[in-house]
Amino acid sequence: MRLGKVIGRVTLNLVVPNLVGGRWLIVSPFNRDFFQNGKESPEGLSKESTLVVYDNIGADVGQTIGFVEGREAAQPFLEPAPVDAFNAALVDCVFYEPLKIK
Amino acid sequence: MLLARVEGSVVAVRKHPSLEGWRLIICQPINKTGEPESVPQIAIDPLGAGMHQKVIISSDGAAARKTVGDEFSPVRWMIIGIVDETESCESEQINR
Repeated sequence: MRLGKVIGRVTLNLVVPNLVGGRWLIVSPFNRDFFQNGKESPEGLSKESTLVVYDNIGADVGQTIGFVEGREAAQPFLEPAPVDAFNAALVDCVFYEPLKIK
Repeated sequence: MLLARVEGSVVAVRKHPSLEGWRLIICQPINKTGEPESVPQIAIDPLGAGMHQKVIISSDGAAARKTVGDEFSPVRWMIIGIVDETESCESEQINR
């Protein structure tokens, strides 16, 4: 799972039947230089490339989410689904203290 | 499996039901000299790793699903060991 900030939403007209009912978020993933510490997500965008994440728990623009990438993203679906990024958690608070190396 | 350093934790109330009760730990993958490599990953922690401890994380989703006991869980990364000591064949040692 990685953390990222929701920066937008996508609305689909036609969608694969197994994915009907889901929402789609545009997410800017955090990296070491752009990471949340505390309750507020950081201002701006990270240098990581943005991606679209499937969401069924209802994240809003500006929130921080934890999303899973890869094969595991399709695991929560009963029927096989073409998903490779899945919103698994709405993040309330992050405690982040990277170790400084001299 | 990656060598990583524990650099924080995440609190999330609304999450996939399979993650209920699991510690979510921010793990920064590191190289043999202890410098960060690539982006931090969030892993579940069945062992109780401490802050800035070195750990091994595994991306084996099947094993992580077995650990949380839910076949439909999206969990992927999991702390599978806490590192005591690392050794490399070159003179540069990981002591950080």
